[in-house]
Amino acid sequence: MADFKDFKTRLKIAKEKLKKHSNNLNNKENSSFMGSAFKLGTELVAAVAVGTIIGFILDNWFDTKPWLMIFFFFLGSVAGILNVIKVAKRMQEKD
Amino acid sequence: MATNPMYQFQVHRIGPEIKIAGFDLSFTNASLFMLLSATAICVTLFLGTKEKNIIPDKLQLISEMFYNFIAKMINDTAGSKAKPYFPFIFSLFMFVLFCNMLGMIPYSFTVTSHIIVTLLMAIFIFIAVTIIGFLKHGFGYLKLFVPSGVPIVLLPLITVIEIISYLSRPVSLSVRLFANMMAGHTMLKVFGGFVISLGMLGGWLPLGFSVALTGLEILVAFLQAYVFAILTCIYLNDALNLHH
Repeated sequence: MADFKDFKTRLKIAKEKLKKHSNNLNNKENSSFMGSAFKLGTELVAAVAVGTIIGFILDNWFDTKPWLMIFFFFLGSVAGILNVIKVAKRMQEKD
Repeated sequence: MATNPMYQFQVHRIGPEIKIAGFDLSFTNASLFMLLSATAICVTLFLGTKEKNIIPDKLQLISEMFYNFIAKMINDTAGSKAKPYFPFIFSLFMFVLFCNMLGMIPYSFTVTSHIIVTLLMAIFIFIAVTIIGFLKHGFGYLKLFVPSGVPIVLLPLITVIEIISYLSRPVSLSVRLFANMMAGHTMLKVFGGFVISLGMLGGWLPLGFSVALTGLEILVAFLQAYVFAILTCIYLNDALNLHH
């Protein structure tokens, strides 16, 4: 039983220490921001790539080389920028 | 051969060649490391949860930390409705994390540095999320592609853009993980090569870089597993709680 009491006081001390450190712990969120930063770049590129590939496939279907590919390249770019805006908005909401 | 920085990404067969119905199903070093990480996860979690002490030992602490981390992440990003998908996201996170971390051991193989592995996981998530969305909302899920408050003239254009943006999800999800892992490991190898070629005189600077990069790579290995899991949660959130 003495062991248990000892544990309780140790827990209390540890919790108090944790409270003191909780301000410093906010730094931990930086890592998730870094994750978001990594995210933005690929988000932009991926949409452009997907748009261009869709345009390429449609071109092969309708025999309209290269017009649909060019059109969908621009649509993909728009989608990419939209994605980045969405992610940025989500990041702002977190604050 | 071994000085080639891309050599580390080569898949080669271990043991006999197995061919079933024209497909090469041989056991490779990639399969070996997938198996190793799956085993490592099972062993860590099994040993960690075997004894449930009030004062946890290291393994129990790690297991509980992972559990809490993922549970909190799912709750924060996708809400309580996403609770049933916890096992899937937890296994996904652990698998990516352990593959990344095992890849940090010298002479090992990084499974996640291959686009086929990451793309397969991303496409699986993409299809699963789409099916979940349609199951929960029926054809109302298509509203995801039609944002409210858009003038009718622009609607066809916006819808196409939204569809492209939706289709780009698996690509960005897989390319991010694969590119980060591959770039990091190539860079480590290149700097390692500099140490050898510059010798005792000039090799110290790239050696220092190598040490710093190793630290950075471990951070990236964790971060990418985290980003992979949190994006899965975000996509799941879109499918479960439809709002625009």
